[in-house]
Amino acid sequence: MKQAGIVAGVCLALVLQAAALAQGRPDFSGTWRFNQAKSSPNIAGNTPIVPFPSQLVVKQTATEFHVDGSSVRQQPTSAIFKLDGSKVSIKAPSGITETGEAKFEGSNVVITSRRSFTSPLGETVVDFKEVWTLNGNVLTIEKTRSESGDAATEKAVFDKMS
Amino acid sequence: MRLSFAALSVAILVGAAIPVQAHHSFSAVYDGNKPVTLRGKVSKLGWSNPHAHIYVDVVNQKGETVTWEVESASATNLLRAGIRKEDFIGTEVIIKGFLAKDGTPTVNASSFTLVELKKEYTSDEAFPAAR
Repeated sequence: MKQAGIVAGVCLALVLQAAALAQGRPDFSGTWRFNQAKSSPNIAGNTPIVPFPSQLVVKQTATEFHVDGSSVRQQPTSAIFKLDGSKVSIKAPSGITETGEAKFEGSNVVITSRRSFTSPLGETVVDFKEVWTLNGNVLTIEKTRSESGDAATEKAVFDKMS
Repeated sequence: MRLSFAALSVAILVGAAIPVQAHHSFSAVYDGNKPVTLRGKVSKLGWSNPHAHIYVDVVNQKGETVTWEVESASATNLLRAGIRKEDFIGTEVIIKGFLAKDGTPTVNASSFTLVELKKEYTSDEAFPAAR
Protein backbone atom coordinates (compact mmCIF):
# COMPACT_ATOMS: atom_id res chain seq x y z
CA MET A 1 0.00 0.00 0.00
CA LYS A 2 2.85 2.30 0.96
CA GLN A 3 4.71 1.38 -2.29
CA ALA A 4 1.62 2.21 -4.35
CA GLY A 5 1.47 5.61 -2.70
CA ILE A 6 5.14 6.27 -3.52
CA VAL A 7 4.65 5.26 -7.18
CA ALA A 8 1.56 7.48 -7.46
CA GLY A 9 3.49 10.35 -5.91
CA VAL A 10 6.39 9.97 -8.34
CA CYS A 11 3.97 9.83 -11.31
CA LEU A 12 2.17 12.95 -10.10
CA ALA A 13 5.49 14.76 -9.68
CA LEU A 14 6.52 13.83 -13.24
CA VAL A 15 3.21 15.02 -14.68
CA LEU A 16 3.42 18.29 -12.74
CA GLN A 17 7.01 18.80 -13.87
CA ALA A 18 6.01 18.30 -17.53
CA ALA A 19 3.10 20.67 -17.10
CA ALA A 20 5.33 23.24 -15.45
CA LEU A 21 7.84 22.98 -18.29
CA ALA A 22 5.06 23.33 -20.83
CA GLN A 23 3.81 26.50 -19.18
CA GLY A 24 5.03 29.64 -20.82
CA ARG A 25 5.91 27.82 -24.01
CA PRO A 26 4.25 29.08 -27.17
CA ASP A 27 1.98 26.60 -28.91
CA PHE A 28 3.05 25.98 -32.52
CA SER A 29 0.07 23.71 -33.24
CA GLY A 30 -1.80 24.41 -36.45
CA THR A 31 -1.66 24.26 -40.22
CA TRP A 32 0.92 26.63 -41.64
CA ARG A 33 1.18 27.78 -45.26
CA PHE A 34 4.40 29.11 -46.81
CA ASN A 35 4.32 32.87 -47.50
CA GLN A 36 6.62 33.52 -50.44
CA ALA A 37 6.39 37.32 -50.27
CA LYS A 38 7.71 37.44 -46.71
CA SER A 39 10.39 34.77 -47.12
CA SER A 40 13.96 34.90 -48.44
CA PRO A 41 13.89 35.25 -52.25
CA ASN A 42 16.36 32.41 -52.68
CA ILE A 43 13.89 29.81 -51.47
CA ALA A 44 11.25 30.52 -54.10
CA GLY A 45 11.18 28.74 -57.40
CA ASN A 46 12.28 25.33 -58.50
CA THR A 47 15.72 25.21 -57.04
CA PRO A 48 15.93 26.68 -53.56
CA ILE A 49 19.34 26.61 -51.90
CA VAL A 50 17.65 25.60 -48.66
CA PRO A 51 14.44 23.63 -49.25
CA PHE A 52 11.31 24.33 -47.21
CA PRO A 53 7.93 22.59 -47.34
CA SER A 54 4.93 24.43 -48.78
CA GLN A 55 2.77 23.44 -45.83
CA LEU A 56 3.36 22.29 -42.26
CA VAL A 57 0.91 20.60 -39.93
CA VAL A 58 2.06 20.79 -36.31
CA LYS A 59 0.60 19.16 -33.22
CA GLN A 60 2.30 20.12 -29.98
CA THR A 61 1.78 18.49 -26.59
CA ALA A 62 3.68 18.94 -23.33
CA THR A 63 6.18 16.27 -24.35
CA GLU A 64 5.92 15.83 -28.13
CA PHE A 65 6.13 17.86 -31.30
CA HIS A 66 4.51 16.31 -34.39
CA VAL A 67 5.54 17.83 -37.71
CA ASP A 68 4.13 16.83 -41.12
CA GLY A 69 5.67 18.68 -44.05
CA SER A 70 4.44 18.60 -47.62
CA SER A 71 5.44 20.30 -50.84
CA VAL A 72 4.74 20.08 -54.54
CA ARG A 73 8.44 19.48 -55.21
CA GLN A 74 9.35 17.19 -52.34
CA GLN A 75 7.94 13.94 -51.04
CA PRO A 76 6.20 14.47 -47.67
CA THR A 77 8.10 14.00 -44.41
CA SER A 78 6.70 13.26 -40.98
CA ALA A 79 8.25 13.24 -37.53
CA ILE A 80 7.17 12.88 -33.94
CA PHE A 81 9.88 14.59 -31.93
CA LYS A 82 10.27 14.21 -28.18
CA LEU A 83 10.68 17.63 -26.61
CA ASP A 84 13.36 16.30 -24.27
CA GLY A 85 15.73 16.47 -27.24
CA SER A 86 16.12 12.71 -27.72
CA LYS A 87 16.85 11.44 -31.22
CA VAL A 88 13.97 10.04 -33.29
CA SER A 89 13.57 8.62 -36.80
CA ILE A 90 11.94 10.88 -39.36
CA LYS A 91 9.60 9.29 -41.87
CA ALA A 92 11.35 10.13 -45.14
CA PRO A 93 10.87 9.06 -48.77
CA SER A 94 12.31 5.78 -50.01
CA GLY A 95 16.10 5.76 -50.26
CA ILE A 96 16.55 8.43 -47.59
CA THR A 97 17.44 7.87 -43.94
CA GLU A 98 16.78 10.77 -41.60
CA THR A 99 17.02 11.24 -37.85
CA GLY A 100 16.48 14.34 -35.76
CA GLU A 101 15.76 15.90 -32.43
CA ALA A 102 13.75 18.88 -31.18
CA LYS A 103 13.84 20.97 -28.02
CA PHE A 104 12.73 24.32 -26.72
CA GLU A 105 15.39 26.98 -26.36
CA GLY A 106 13.61 29.81 -24.60
CA SER A 107 10.45 30.39 -26.61
CA ASN A 108 11.95 28.95 -29.82
CA VAL A 109 11.87 25.36 -30.99
CA VAL A 110 15.17 24.12 -32.39
CA ILE A 111 15.10 21.07 -34.66
CA THR A 112 18.30 19.46 -35.86
CA SER A 113 18.28 16.61 -38.34
CA ARG A 114 20.64 14.51 -40.43
CA ARG A 115 19.60 13.18 -43.85
CA SER A 116 21.64 10.55 -45.67
CA PHE A 117 21.26 8.93 -49.07
CA THR A 118 23.39 7.35 -51.77
CA SER A 119 24.53 9.43 -54.71
CA PRO A 120 27.30 9.19 -57.32
CA LEU A 121 29.45 11.04 -54.75
CA GLY A 122 29.08 8.10 -52.34
CA GLU A 123 27.14 8.27 -49.09
CA THR A 124 25.82 11.82 -48.94
CA VAL A 125 25.05 13.38 -45.57
CA VAL A 126 23.18 16.66 -45.20
CA ASP A 127 22.65 18.33 -41.83
CA PHE A 128 19.80 20.74 -41.16
CA LYS A 129 19.18 23.07 -38.25
CA GLU A 130 15.84 24.86 -37.93
CA VAL A 131 14.99 27.60 -35.44
CA TRP A 132 11.24 28.11 -35.16
CA THR A 133 9.90 31.41 -33.84
CA LEU A 134 6.25 32.15 -33.27
CA ASN A 135 4.77 35.65 -33.44
CA GLY A 136 0.98 35.50 -33.25
CA ASN A 137 -0.25 33.80 -36.41
CA VAL A 138 3.12 34.02 -38.11
CA LEU A 139 5.72 31.28 -37.92
CA THR A 140 9.29 32.05 -38.97
CA ILE A 141 11.77 29.26 -39.60
CA GLU A 142 15.44 29.98 -40.05
CA LYS A 143 17.02 26.91 -41.58
CA THR A 144 20.66 26.06 -42.19
CA ARG A 145 21.72 23.36 -44.63
CA SER A 146 25.26 22.02 -44.12
CA GLU A 147 27.20 19.45 -46.07
CA SER A 148 30.77 18.82 -47.12
CA GLY A 149 31.95 21.71 -44.93
CA ASP A 150 29.70 24.19 -46.70
CA ALA A 151 26.61 25.84 -45.21
CA ALA A 152 23.75 28.10 -46.28
CA THR A 153 21.00 29.69 -44.20
CA GLU A 154 17.61 30.98 -45.37
CA LYS A 155 14.43 32.18 -43.71
CA ALA A 156 10.87 31.13 -44.47
CA VAL A 157 7.67 32.66 -43.16
CA PHE A 158 4.47 30.67 -42.75
CA ASP A 159 0.94 31.98 -42.12
CA LYS A 160 -1.46 30.12 -39.87
CA MET A 161 -4.40 28.67 -41.80
CA SER A 162 -6.15 26.88 -38.91
CA MET B 1 1.38 22.12 -103.37
CA ARG B 2 -0.44 19.77 -100.98
CA LEU B 3 2.85 17.97 -100.31
CA SER B 4 4.58 21.27 -99.50
CA PHE B 5 1.87 22.13 -97.00
CA ALA B 6 2.25 18.72 -95.32
CA ALA B 7 6.03 19.14 -95.16
CA LEU B 8 5.66 22.60 -93.66
CA SER B 9 3.22 21.27 -91.03
CA VAL B 10 5.65 18.50 -90.05
CA ALA B 11 8.50 21.02 -89.81
CA ILE B 12 6.45 23.29 -87.54
CA LEU B 13 5.47 20.38 -85.28
CA VAL B 14 9.05 19.12 -85.01
CA GLY B 15 10.31 22.62 -84.33
CA ALA B 16 7.73 23.14 -81.60
CA ALA B 17 8.60 19.82 -79.98
CA ILE B 18 12.30 20.62 -79.48
CA PRO B 19 11.93 23.31 -76.78
CA VAL B 20 9.24 21.25 -75.04
CA GLN B 21 11.67 18.37 -74.73
CA ALA B 22 14.41 20.65 -73.39
CA HIS B 23 12.28 22.53 -70.88
CA HIS B 24 10.80 20.10 -68.40
CA SER B 25 9.32 20.42 -64.92
CA PHE B 26 11.76 20.21 -62.01
CA SER B 27 9.90 17.45 -60.20
CA ALA B 28 9.79 15.23 -63.28
CA VAL B 29 13.57 14.91 -63.31
CA TYR B 30 14.99 16.01 -59.93
CA ASP B 31 14.48 14.95 -56.33
CA GLY B 32 13.72 17.92 -54.06
CA ASN B 33 14.54 15.78 -51.02
CA LYS B 34 18.14 15.16 -52.12
CA PRO B 35 20.24 18.34 -51.97
CA VAL B 36 23.89 17.91 -52.91
CA THR B 37 26.97 20.11 -53.02
CA LEU B 38 29.61 19.47 -55.69
CA ARG B 39 33.13 20.85 -55.93
CA GLY B 40 35.19 20.27 -59.06
CA LYS B 41 36.59 21.61 -62.32
CA VAL B 42 34.49 22.53 -65.33
CA SER B 43 35.40 20.27 -68.26
CA LYS B 44 32.75 21.25 -70.81
CA LEU B 45 29.96 23.73 -71.25
CA GLY B 46 26.68 23.67 -73.10
CA TRP B 47 25.92 27.39 -73.49
CA SER B 48 22.26 27.30 -74.43
CA ASN B 49 18.68 28.25 -73.67
CA PRO B 50 16.48 27.41 -71.84
CA HIS B 51 19.26 25.89 -69.71
CA ALA B 52 23.02 26.10 -69.78
CA HIS B 53 24.66 22.75 -69.02
CA ILE B 54 27.90 22.74 -67.05
CA TYR B 55 29.95 19.52 -67.02
CA VAL B 56 32.05 19.24 -63.87
CA ASP B 57 34.70 16.67 -62.94
CA VAL B 58 34.18 15.74 -59.30
CA VAL B 59 36.20 13.24 -57.24
CA ASN B 60 33.88 10.87 -55.37
CA GLN B 61 34.48 9.14 -52.03
CA LYS B 62 36.28 6.25 -53.77
CA GLY B 63 38.77 8.67 -55.32
CA GLU B 64 37.33 8.26 -58.81
CA THR B 65 36.67 11.26 -61.03
CA VAL B 66 33.08 11.39 -62.20
CA THR B 67 31.79 13.94 -64.70
CA TRP B 68 28.53 15.52 -63.49
CA GLU B 69 26.05 17.25 -65.72
CA VAL B 70 24.73 20.40 -64.06
CA GLU B 71 21.59 22.01 -65.40
CA SER B 72 21.71 25.73 -64.72
CA ALA B 73 19.81 28.86 -65.69
CA SER B 74 19.60 29.93 -69.31
CA ALA B 75 22.65 31.38 -71.04
CA THR B 76 20.65 34.61 -71.38
CA ASN B 77 20.06 34.85 -67.62
CA LEU B 78 23.70 34.06 -66.88
CA LEU B 79 24.83 36.82 -69.25
CA ARG B 80 22.43 39.24 -67.56
CA ALA B 81 24.07 38.33 -64.24
CA GLY B 82 27.48 39.18 -65.70
CA ILE B 83 28.65 35.59 -66.17
CA ARG B 84 30.17 34.76 -69.55
CA LYS B 85 30.85 31.48 -71.31
CA GLU B 86 34.60 32.13 -71.03
CA ASP B 87 34.34 32.29 -67.23
CA PHE B 88 33.69 28.55 -66.94
CA ILE B 89 36.24 26.50 -68.83
CA GLY B 90 38.85 24.89 -66.56
CA THR B 91 37.73 26.81 -63.52
CA GLU B 92 36.88 25.39 -60.12
CA VAL B 93 33.20 25.57 -59.16
CA ILE B 94 31.10 24.88 -56.10
CA ILE B 95 27.58 23.89 -57.01
CA LYS B 96 24.55 23.49 -54.77
CA GLY B 97 21.64 21.69 -56.30
CA PHE B 98 19.32 18.71 -56.30
CA LEU B 99 20.11 15.20 -57.47
CA ALA B 100 18.41 13.61 -60.47
CA LYS B 101 15.80 10.99 -59.64
CA ASP B 102 17.39 8.42 -61.94
CA GLY B 103 20.57 8.25 -59.82
CA THR B 104 22.87 9.50 -62.59
CA PRO B 105 25.47 12.20 -61.81
CA THR B 106 23.08 14.97 -62.79
CA VAL B 107 21.95 17.93 -60.72
CA ASN B 108 19.77 20.98 -61.09
CA ALA B 109 21.80 23.91 -59.76
CA SER B 110 20.35 26.25 -57.13
CA SER B 111 23.54 28.24 -57.09
CA PHE B 112 27.13 28.05 -58.17
CA THR B 113 30.36 29.82 -57.30
CA LEU B 114 33.23 30.30 -59.74
CA VAL B 115 36.00 29.97 -57.16
CA GLU B 116 38.93 31.75 -58.86
CA LEU B 117 36.78 34.59 -60.20
CA LYS B 118 34.86 34.89 -56.91
CA LYS B 119 31.61 35.13 -58.89
CA GLU B 120 28.40 33.70 -57.51
CA TYR B 121 25.14 32.95 -59.22
CA THR B 122 21.88 32.10 -57.50
CA SER B 123 18.87 30.85 -59.39
CA ASP B 124 16.35 33.67 -59.25
CA GLU B 125 13.36 31.97 -60.80
CA ALA B 126 10.52 33.61 -58.94
CA PHE B 127 7.80 31.07 -59.56
CA PRO B 128 5.58 30.09 -56.64
CA ALA B 129 5.41 26.63 -55.23
CA ALA B 130 2.65 25.67 -57.64
CA ARG B 131 4.68 23.78 -60.23
